[in-house]
Amino acid sequence: MQRLGEFKLPAFFNYPPYFTLQPVRETREKQVQLWKELILDYCRNQKVFVVGLEEDFPLFSNPVIERSLSHEAKELFLSALVNEGRAEWMDKGHKKCLILWMRIQDWADYIVNFVKENGFEDSVMTVEDIRSGFESRGTDLAGIDRSVLMRALRLLEQKGKAAIFRGTSTDDEGVKFSV
Amino acid sequence: MRRRPGIAGLQTAAATRDQYRLVGENVAKIRTDLMKEQLETFRTQLEEFARKHKNDIRKNPTFRSQFHEMCAKVGVDPLASNKGFWAELLGIGDFYYELGVQIVNICLETRPQNGGLIDLQELRNLLCQRHKATRESVSEDDCLRAISKLKVLGSGFEVISVGKKKLVRSVPTELNKDHNAILEMAQTNGYVTVEEIERKLSWSSGRAVDVLMSLLEEGLAMIDDGHRDGKRRYWFPCVSPISATSGSDQKN
Repeated sequence: MQRLGEFKLPAFFNYPPYFTLQPVRETREKQVQLWKELILDYCRNQKVFVVGLEEDFPLFSNPVIERSLSHEAKELFLSALVNEGRAEWMDKGHKKCLILWMRIQDWADYIVNFVKENGFEDSVMTVEDIRSGFESRGTDLAGIDRSVLMRALRLLEQKGKAAIFRGTSTDDEGVKFSV
Repeated sequence: MRRRPGIAGLQTAAATRDQYRLVGENVAKIRTDLMKEQLETFRTQLEEFARKHKNDIRKNPTFRSQFHEMCAKVGVDPLASNKGFWAELLGIGDFYYELGVQIVNICLETRPQNGGLIDLQELRNLLCQRHKATRESVSEDDCLRAISKLKVLGSGFEVISVGKKKLVRSVPTELNKDHNAILEMAQTNGYVTVEEIERKLSWSSGRAVDVLMSLLEEGLAMIDDGHRDGKRRYWFPCVSPISATSGSDQKN
Protein backbone atom coordinates (compact mmCIF):
# COMPACT_ATOMS: atom_id res chain seq x y z
CA MET A 1 0.00 0.00 0.00
CA GLN A 2 1.34 3.39 -1.03
CA ARG A 3 1.62 6.10 1.58
CA LEU A 4 1.89 9.85 1.69
CA GLY A 5 3.69 10.48 4.95
CA GLU A 6 1.37 9.08 7.60
CA PHE A 7 -1.53 8.84 5.21
CA LYS A 8 -2.53 5.50 3.74
CA LEU A 9 -3.68 5.88 0.16
CA PRO A 10 -6.66 3.87 -1.10
CA ALA A 11 -6.19 1.20 -3.75
CA PHE A 12 -7.94 3.16 -6.49
CA PHE A 13 -5.18 5.79 -6.32
CA ASN A 14 -2.95 3.30 -8.12
CA TYR A 15 -5.47 2.42 -10.81
CA PRO A 16 -4.77 4.64 -13.84
CA PRO A 17 -8.34 5.17 -15.16
CA TYR A 18 -9.37 6.91 -11.93
CA PHE A 19 -7.22 9.83 -13.13
CA THR A 20 -9.30 10.24 -16.30
CA LEU A 21 -12.87 11.54 -16.06
CA GLN A 22 -15.13 8.63 -16.95
CA PRO A 23 -17.66 9.17 -19.74
CA VAL A 24 -20.34 6.78 -18.43
CA ARG A 25 -22.56 8.35 -15.78
CA GLU A 26 -22.65 5.54 -13.18
CA THR A 27 -18.93 4.93 -13.42
CA ARG A 28 -18.24 8.64 -13.08
CA GLU A 29 -20.50 8.95 -10.05
CA LYS A 30 -18.54 6.22 -8.33
CA GLN A 31 -15.29 7.89 -9.36
CA VAL A 32 -16.35 11.28 -8.00
CA GLN A 33 -17.53 9.65 -4.76
CA LEU A 34 -14.16 7.96 -4.20
CA TRP A 35 -12.23 11.16 -4.89
CA LYS A 36 -14.45 13.20 -2.59
CA GLU A 37 -13.83 10.79 0.26
CA LEU A 38 -10.11 10.71 -0.45
CA ILE A 39 -9.78 14.52 -0.49
CA LEU A 40 -11.71 14.90 2.77
CA ASP A 41 -9.81 12.08 4.50
CA TYR A 42 -6.46 13.42 3.40
CA CYS A 43 -7.20 17.01 4.45
CA ARG A 44 -8.52 15.81 7.82
CA ASN A 45 -5.49 13.63 8.34
CA GLN A 46 -2.95 16.24 7.25
CA LYS A 47 -4.88 19.26 8.57
CA VAL A 48 -5.01 20.88 5.16
CA PHE A 49 -7.52 23.70 4.78
CA VAL A 50 -6.77 25.25 1.44
CA VAL A 51 -6.27 23.36 -1.80
CA GLY A 52 -4.93 25.31 -4.75
CA LEU A 53 -5.80 23.96 -8.17
CA GLU A 54 -2.73 25.42 -9.75
CA GLU A 55 -0.33 24.42 -7.04
CA ASP A 56 1.20 21.05 -6.33
CA PHE A 57 -1.15 19.01 -4.22
CA PRO A 58 0.03 15.47 -3.42
CA LEU A 59 -3.32 13.86 -4.25
CA PHE A 60 -3.61 15.35 -7.71
CA SER A 61 -0.83 13.30 -9.22
CA ASN A 62 0.60 9.86 -8.68
CA PRO A 63 4.20 9.60 -9.87
CA VAL A 64 4.20 5.83 -9.32
CA ILE A 65 1.73 5.26 -12.16
CA GLU A 66 2.61 8.51 -13.96
CA ARG A 67 -0.90 9.87 -13.92
CA SER A 68 -2.25 13.23 -12.85
CA LEU A 69 -5.65 14.86 -12.78
CA SER A 70 -6.65 17.36 -15.44
CA HIS A 71 -7.75 20.80 -14.32
CA GLU A 72 -11.29 19.86 -15.31
CA ALA A 73 -11.20 16.77 -13.09
CA LYS A 74 -9.83 18.66 -10.07
CA GLU A 75 -12.51 21.29 -10.44
CA LEU A 76 -15.24 18.66 -10.81
CA PHE A 77 -14.22 16.74 -7.68
CA LEU A 78 -13.91 19.90 -5.58
CA SER A 79 -17.19 21.26 -6.95
CA ALA A 80 -18.85 18.04 -5.82
CA LEU A 81 -17.57 18.76 -2.31
CA VAL A 82 -18.75 22.38 -2.58
CA ASN A 83 -22.23 21.15 -3.53
CA GLU A 84 -22.34 19.09 -0.37
CA GLY A 85 -21.24 21.95 1.82
CA ARG A 86 -17.93 20.28 2.55
CA ALA A 87 -15.88 22.87 0.67
CA GLU A 88 -16.08 26.45 -0.59
CA TRP A 89 -14.50 28.21 -3.53
CA MET A 90 -12.35 31.07 -2.26
CA ASP A 91 -12.35 33.01 -5.54
CA LYS A 92 -14.51 33.39 -8.60
CA GLY A 93 -11.93 31.77 -10.83
CA HIS A 94 -12.10 28.56 -8.78
CA LYS A 95 -8.37 28.54 -8.22
CA LYS A 96 -8.45 28.00 -4.48
CA CYS A 97 -10.77 25.85 -2.45
CA LEU A 98 -11.37 25.86 1.29
CA ILE A 99 -11.93 22.32 2.52
CA LEU A 100 -14.30 21.98 5.45
CA TRP A 101 -13.37 18.53 6.68
CA MET A 102 -15.28 19.63 9.75
CA ARG A 103 -18.32 21.77 9.11
CA ILE A 104 -18.38 25.23 10.76
CA GLN A 105 -21.08 23.96 13.14
CA ASP A 106 -18.85 21.01 14.11
CA TRP A 107 -15.92 23.36 14.66
CA ALA A 108 -18.08 25.48 16.95
CA ASP A 109 -19.02 22.39 18.98
CA TYR A 110 -15.39 21.35 19.05
CA ILE A 111 -14.36 24.76 20.43
CA VAL A 112 -17.05 24.62 23.13
CA ASN A 113 -15.67 21.24 24.22
CA PHE A 114 -12.15 22.56 24.15
CA VAL A 115 -13.14 25.51 26.32
CA LYS A 116 -14.92 23.30 28.83
CA GLU A 117 -12.13 20.78 29.06
CA ASN A 118 -9.53 23.44 29.74
CA GLY A 119 -11.64 25.55 32.05
CA PHE A 120 -11.64 28.62 29.82
CA GLU A 121 -15.26 29.49 30.59
CA ASP A 122 -15.53 33.19 31.33
CA SER A 123 -11.93 33.85 30.44
CA VAL A 124 -10.51 35.86 27.59
CA MET A 125 -8.28 34.28 24.95
CA THR A 126 -6.69 35.74 21.87
CA VAL A 127 -7.51 34.10 18.57
CA GLU A 128 -3.83 33.30 18.18
CA ASP A 129 -3.90 31.46 21.52
CA ILE A 130 -6.58 29.17 20.20
CA ARG A 131 -4.62 28.47 17.03
CA SER A 132 -1.20 27.96 18.54
CA GLY A 133 -1.43 28.08 22.32
CA PHE A 134 -0.16 25.38 24.64
CA GLU A 135 -3.60 23.89 25.26
CA SER A 136 -4.33 23.58 21.56
CA ARG A 137 -1.36 21.36 20.90
CA GLY A 138 -2.42 17.92 19.77
CA THR A 139 -6.00 19.04 19.16
CA ASP A 140 -7.57 19.77 15.78
CA LEU A 141 -7.44 23.46 16.66
CA ALA A 142 -3.66 23.58 16.32
CA GLY A 143 -2.96 25.46 13.13
CA ILE A 144 -6.62 25.83 12.19
CA ASP A 145 -7.28 28.09 9.23
CA ARG A 146 -7.91 31.57 10.58
CA SER A 147 -11.02 32.24 8.52
CA VAL A 148 -12.56 28.91 9.51
CA LEU A 149 -11.87 29.65 13.18
CA MET A 150 -13.34 33.15 12.94
CA ARG A 151 -16.51 31.81 11.34
CA ALA A 152 -16.91 29.21 14.05
CA LEU A 153 -16.37 31.90 16.70
CA ARG A 154 -18.90 34.19 15.04
CA LEU A 155 -21.38 31.33 15.03
CA LEU A 156 -20.80 30.93 18.78
CA GLU A 157 -21.21 34.71 19.19
CA GLN A 158 -24.59 34.54 17.46
CA LYS A 159 -25.64 31.89 19.93
CA GLY A 160 -24.45 34.04 22.83
CA LYS A 161 -21.72 31.64 23.80
CA ALA A 162 -18.82 33.93 22.96
CA ALA A 163 -18.01 37.60 22.55
CA ILE A 164 -15.37 38.67 20.07
CA PHE A 165 -13.27 41.76 20.82
CA ARG A 166 -11.80 43.43 17.83
CA GLY A 167 -8.32 44.68 18.53
CA THR A 168 -6.23 47.21 16.70
CA SER A 169 -4.84 44.53 14.41
CA THR A 170 -5.87 41.00 13.60
CA ASP A 171 -3.14 39.80 15.94
CA ASP A 172 -4.86 40.92 19.07
CA GLU A 173 -8.40 39.91 18.36
CA GLY A 174 -9.75 38.29 21.47
CA VAL A 175 -12.68 36.20 22.50
CA LYS A 176 -14.51 35.70 25.76
CA PHE A 177 -16.40 32.48 26.18
CA SER A 178 -19.49 32.12 28.26
CA VAL A 179 -20.59 28.57 27.63
CA MET B 1 -56.58 -89.68 -22.42
CA ARG B 2 -56.70 -86.08 -21.39
CA ARG B 3 -57.70 -85.54 -17.76
CA ARG B 4 -60.40 -83.06 -17.19
CA PRO B 5 -59.74 -80.48 -14.45
CA GLY B 6 -61.07 -81.60 -11.11
CA ILE B 7 -61.49 -79.98 -7.73
CA ALA B 8 -58.31 -81.58 -6.43
CA GLY B 9 -56.30 -80.11 -9.34
CA LEU B 10 -57.63 -76.64 -8.68
CA GLN B 11 -56.84 -76.91 -5.00
CA THR B 12 -53.28 -78.02 -5.70
CA ALA B 13 -52.79 -75.08 -8.06
CA ALA B 14 -54.08 -72.63 -5.42
CA ALA B 15 -51.87 -74.18 -2.75
CA THR B 16 -48.83 -73.90 -4.98
CA ARG B 17 -49.60 -70.26 -5.67
CA ASP B 18 -49.90 -69.64 -1.95
CA GLN B 19 -46.59 -71.35 -1.34
CA TYR B 20 -44.90 -69.25 -3.98
CA ARG B 21 -46.32 -66.08 -2.58
CA LEU B 22 -45.17 -66.94 0.90
CA VAL B 23 -41.67 -67.73 -0.22
CA GLY B 24 -41.62 -64.57 -2.32
CA GLU B 25 -42.75 -62.47 0.61
CA ASN B 26 -40.09 -64.02 2.76
CA VAL B 27 -37.40 -63.31 0.26
CA ALA B 28 -38.58 -59.73 -0.13
CA LYS B 29 -38.69 -59.30 3.63
CA ILE B 30 -35.22 -60.67 4.05
CA ARG B 31 -34.01 -58.33 1.32
CA THR B 32 -35.60 -55.29 2.84
CA ASP B 33 -34.26 -56.18 6.26
CA LEU B 34 -30.83 -56.61 4.81
CA MET B 35 -31.15 -53.34 2.96
CA LYS B 36 -32.37 -51.60 6.09
CA GLU B 37 -29.51 -53.05 8.01
CA GLN B 38 -27.02 -51.97 5.39
CA LEU B 39 -28.51 -48.51 5.23
CA GLU B 40 -28.39 -48.29 9.00
CA THR B 41 -24.75 -49.32 9.03
CA PHE B 42 -23.97 -46.91 6.24
CA ARG B 43 -25.72 -44.12 8.03
CA THR B 44 -24.03 -44.74 11.34
CA GLN B 45 -20.69 -45.08 9.63
CA LEU B 46 -21.19 -41.88 7.73
CA GLU B 47 -22.47 -40.17 10.84
CA GLU B 48 -19.52 -41.41 12.80
CA PHE B 49 -17.18 -40.28 10.07
CA ALA B 50 -18.77 -36.90 9.87
CA ARG B 51 -18.77 -36.50 13.62
CA LYS B 52 -15.17 -37.56 13.88
CA HIS B 53 -14.05 -35.22 11.12
CA LYS B 54 -16.47 -32.40 11.75
CA ASN B 55 -13.68 -29.97 12.49
CA ASP B 56 -11.70 -31.04 9.48
CA ILE B 57 -14.73 -30.61 7.27
CA ARG B 58 -15.34 -27.15 8.62
CA LYS B 59 -11.79 -25.95 8.71
CA ASN B 60 -9.97 -27.71 5.92
CA PRO B 61 -11.10 -26.84 2.39
CA THR B 62 -9.29 -29.76 0.73
CA PHE B 63 -10.89 -32.22 3.10
CA ARG B 64 -14.24 -30.54 2.54
CA SER B 65 -14.04 -30.95 -1.20
CA GLN B 66 -13.03 -34.61 -0.80
CA PHE B 67 -15.95 -35.16 1.50
CA HIS B 68 -18.25 -33.68 -1.11
CA GLU B 69 -16.78 -35.95 -3.73
CA MET B 70 -17.40 -38.97 -1.54
CA CYS B 71 -20.96 -37.89 -0.90
CA ALA B 72 -21.55 -37.41 -4.59
CA LYS B 73 -20.32 -40.94 -5.27
CA VAL B 74 -22.80 -42.50 -2.86
CA GLY B 75 -25.54 -40.21 -4.12
CA VAL B 76 -25.94 -38.01 -1.07
CA ASP B 77 -26.15 -34.24 -1.36
CA PRO B 78 -25.38 -32.68 1.98
CA LEU B 79 -26.49 -29.32 0.63
CA ALA B 80 -29.87 -30.48 -0.63
CA SER B 81 -31.68 -29.41 2.49
CA ASN B 82 -30.81 -27.47 5.55
CA LYS B 83 -33.13 -29.57 7.67
CA GLY B 84 -31.65 -33.02 7.19
CA PHE B 85 -29.40 -34.72 9.66
CA TRP B 86 -26.44 -33.41 7.69
CA ALA B 87 -27.16 -29.87 8.52
CA GLU B 88 -27.79 -30.69 12.15
CA LEU B 89 -24.68 -32.77 12.34
CA LEU B 90 -22.26 -30.65 10.40
CA GLY B 91 -23.75 -27.25 9.99
CA ILE B 92 -22.40 -27.74 6.51
CA GLY B 93 -25.51 -26.32 4.89
CA ASP B 94 -25.12 -23.19 6.98
CA PHE B 95 -21.56 -22.87 5.86
CA TYR B 96 -22.57 -22.63 2.22
CA TYR B 97 -25.61 -20.50 2.82
CA GLU B 98 -23.48 -18.02 4.70
CA LEU B 99 -20.88 -18.14 1.98
CA GLY B 100 -23.60 -17.53 -0.59
CA VAL B 101 -24.85 -14.49 1.29
CA GLN B 102 -21.32 -13.14 1.59
CA ILE B 103 -20.72 -13.68 -2.11
CA VAL B 104 -23.89 -11.77 -2.96
CA ASN B 105 -22.76 -8.96 -0.66
CA ILE B 106 -19.31 -8.73 -2.19
CA CYS B 107 -20.71 -8.78 -5.71
CA LEU B 108 -23.09 -5.95 -4.86
CA GLU B 109 -20.45 -3.92 -3.05
CA THR B 110 -17.93 -4.15 -5.85
CA ARG B 111 -20.46 -3.74 -8.65
CA PRO B 112 -19.91 0.02 -9.01
CA GLN B 113 -16.23 -0.65 -9.60
CA ASN B 114 -16.35 -3.74 -11.78
CA GLY B 115 -19.74 -3.55 -13.43
CA GLY B 116 -20.91 -6.81 -11.88
CA LEU B 117 -18.16 -9.04 -13.18
CA ILE B 118 -15.56 -10.14 -10.70
CA ASP B 119 -12.53 -12.39 -10.94
CA LEU B 120 -13.14 -15.57 -8.94
CA GLN B 121 -9.68 -15.23 -7.35
CA GLU B 122 -10.44 -11.68 -6.27
CA LEU B 123 -13.79 -12.79 -4.87
CA ARG B 124 -12.06 -15.54 -2.93
CA ASN B 125 -9.48 -13.11 -1.53
CA LEU B 126 -12.23 -10.81 -0.33
CA LEU B 127 -14.08 -13.77 1.21
CA CYS B 128 -10.95 -14.95 2.98
CA GLN B 129 -10.48 -11.48 4.45
CA ARG B 130 -13.95 -11.75 5.97
CA HIS B 131 -13.27 -15.24 7.24
CA LYS B 132 -10.01 -14.27 8.85
CA ALA B 133 -11.73 -13.80 12.18
CA THR B 134 -13.07 -17.36 12.22
CA ARG B 135 -9.92 -18.75 10.61
CA GLU B 136 -11.93 -20.91 8.27
CA SER B 137 -10.34 -20.83 4.88
CA VAL B 138 -12.45 -20.78 1.75
CA SER B 139 -11.38 -22.63 -1.36
CA GLU B 140 -12.27 -22.00 -4.96
CA ASP B 141 -14.31 -25.21 -4.82
CA ASP B 142 -16.36 -23.78 -1.94
CA CYS B 143 -17.03 -20.59 -3.91
CA LEU B 144 -18.18 -22.56 -6.95
CA ARG B 145 -20.47 -24.71 -4.79
CA ALA B 146 -21.99 -21.71 -3.08
CA ILE B 147 -22.50 -19.95 -6.41
CA SER B 148 -24.15 -23.02 -7.93
CA LYS B 149 -26.63 -22.89 -5.05
CA LEU B 150 -27.30 -19.23 -5.80
CA LYS B 151 -28.37 -20.14 -9.30
CA VAL B 152 -31.54 -21.60 -7.81
CA LEU B 153 -32.58 -18.09 -6.90
CA GLY B 154 -32.58 -17.21 -10.56
CA SER B 155 -30.74 -14.01 -9.79
CA GLY B 156 -28.33 -14.49 -12.65
CA PHE B 157 -25.30 -15.57 -10.67
CA GLU B 158 -23.03 -17.48 -12.94
CA VAL B 159 -19.41 -18.46 -13.38
CA ILE B 160 -18.01 -17.89 -16.84
CA SER B 161 -14.61 -18.76 -18.21
CA VAL B 162 -12.74 -16.10 -20.10
CA GLY B 163 -9.30 -17.10 -21.22
CA LYS B 164 -7.45 -18.46 -18.22
CA LYS B 165 -9.67 -16.77 -15.70
CA LYS B 166 -12.98 -17.65 -14.14
CA LEU B 167 -15.26 -14.68 -13.70
CA VAL B 168 -18.35 -14.48 -11.54
CA ARG B 169 -21.19 -12.60 -13.14
CA SER B 170 -23.82 -11.01 -10.93
CA VAL B 171 -25.61 -8.96 -13.57
CA PRO B 172 -27.81 -10.42 -16.27
CA THR B 173 -25.63 -9.00 -19.03
CA GLU B 174 -25.02 -11.42 -21.85
CA LEU B 175 -21.44 -11.30 -23.00
CA ASN B 176 -21.02 -12.14 -26.65
CA LYS B 177 -17.98 -13.53 -28.39
CA ASP B 178 -16.54 -10.10 -29.12
CA HIS B 179 -16.82 -9.05 -25.50
CA ASN B 180 -15.13 -12.24 -24.40
CA ALA B 181 -12.30 -11.81 -26.87
CA ILE B 182 -11.53 -8.36 -25.47
CA LEU B 183 -11.80 -9.45 -21.84
CA GLU B 184 -9.44 -12.28 -22.61
CA MET B 185 -6.97 -9.94 -24.25
CA ALA B 186 -7.13 -7.54 -21.32
CA GLN B 187 -5.89 -10.24 -18.97
CA THR B 188 -2.31 -9.68 -20.10
CA ASN B 189 -1.93 -6.05 -19.08
CA GLY B 190 -5.22 -5.18 -17.44
CA TYR B 191 -6.05 -2.90 -20.35
CA VAL B 192 -6.37 -2.86 -24.13
CA THR B 193 -6.07 -0.18 -26.80
CA VAL B 194 -8.03 0.05 -30.05
CA GLU B 195 -4.76 -0.38 -31.93
CA GLU B 196 -3.92 -3.55 -30.06
CA ILE B 197 -7.35 -5.02 -30.83
CA GLU B 198 -7.02 -4.18 -34.51
CA ARG B 199 -3.61 -5.78 -34.63
CA LYS B 200 -4.22 -8.93 -32.62
CA LEU B 201 -7.79 -9.75 -33.60
CA SER B 202 -7.67 -8.20 -37.09
CA TRP B 203 -10.89 -6.31 -36.47
CA SER B 204 -11.82 -3.05 -38.11
CA SER B 205 -11.45 -0.08 -35.78
CA GLY B 206 -15.20 0.46 -36.00
CA ARG B 207 -15.90 -2.99 -34.63
CA ALA B 208 -13.34 -2.54 -31.85
CA VAL B 209 -14.75 0.84 -30.84
CA ASP B 210 -18.32 -0.50 -30.88
CA VAL B 211 -17.50 -3.37 -28.55
CA LEU B 212 -15.47 -1.12 -26.25
CA MET B 213 -18.32 1.38 -26.11
CA SER B 214 -20.78 -1.30 -25.07
CA LEU B 215 -18.36 -2.56 -22.40
CA LEU B 216 -18.04 1.01 -21.12
CA GLU B 217 -21.80 1.37 -21.03
CA GLU B 218 -22.09 -1.82 -19.00
CA GLY B 219 -19.67 -0.38 -16.48
CA LEU B 220 -17.18 -3.15 -17.18
CA ALA B 221 -14.52 -0.87 -18.62
CA MET B 222 -12.91 2.45 -17.70
CA ILE B 223 -10.99 4.79 -19.97
CA ASP B 224 -7.51 6.10 -19.25
CA ASP B 225 -6.17 9.00 -21.29
CA GLY B 226 -3.21 9.68 -19.04
CA HIS B 227 -0.45 7.62 -20.58
CA ARG B 228 2.34 9.57 -22.18
CA ASP B 229 1.96 7.86 -25.56
CA GLY B 230 -1.40 9.62 -25.77
CA LYS B 231 -3.29 6.47 -26.71
CA ARG B 232 -6.50 5.80 -24.87
CA ARG B 233 -6.37 2.67 -22.75
CA TYR B 234 -9.43 0.71 -21.73
CA TRP B 235 -9.06 -0.89 -18.30
CA PHE B 236 -11.14 -3.77 -17.00
CA PRO B 237 -11.43 -3.93 -13.21
CA CYS B 238 -12.92 -7.43 -13.48
CA VAL B 239 -9.73 -8.92 -14.90
CA SER B 240 -7.20 -6.67 -13.21
CA PRO B 241 -8.50 -6.04 -9.71
CA ILE B 242 -7.86 -2.50 -8.53
CA SER B 243 -6.24 -3.74 -5.35
CA ALA B 244 -3.69 -5.78 -7.27
CA THR B 245 -2.40 -3.16 -9.68
CA SER B 246 0.56 -0.95 -9.02
CA GLY B 247 2.88 0.80 -11.34
CA SER B 248 2.04 1.47 -14.95
CA ASP B 249 4.65 0.10 -17.24
CA GLN B 250 6.43 -2.66 -15.45
CA LYS B 251 4.41 -5.26 -17.34
CA ASN B 252 5.09 -3.86 -20.80
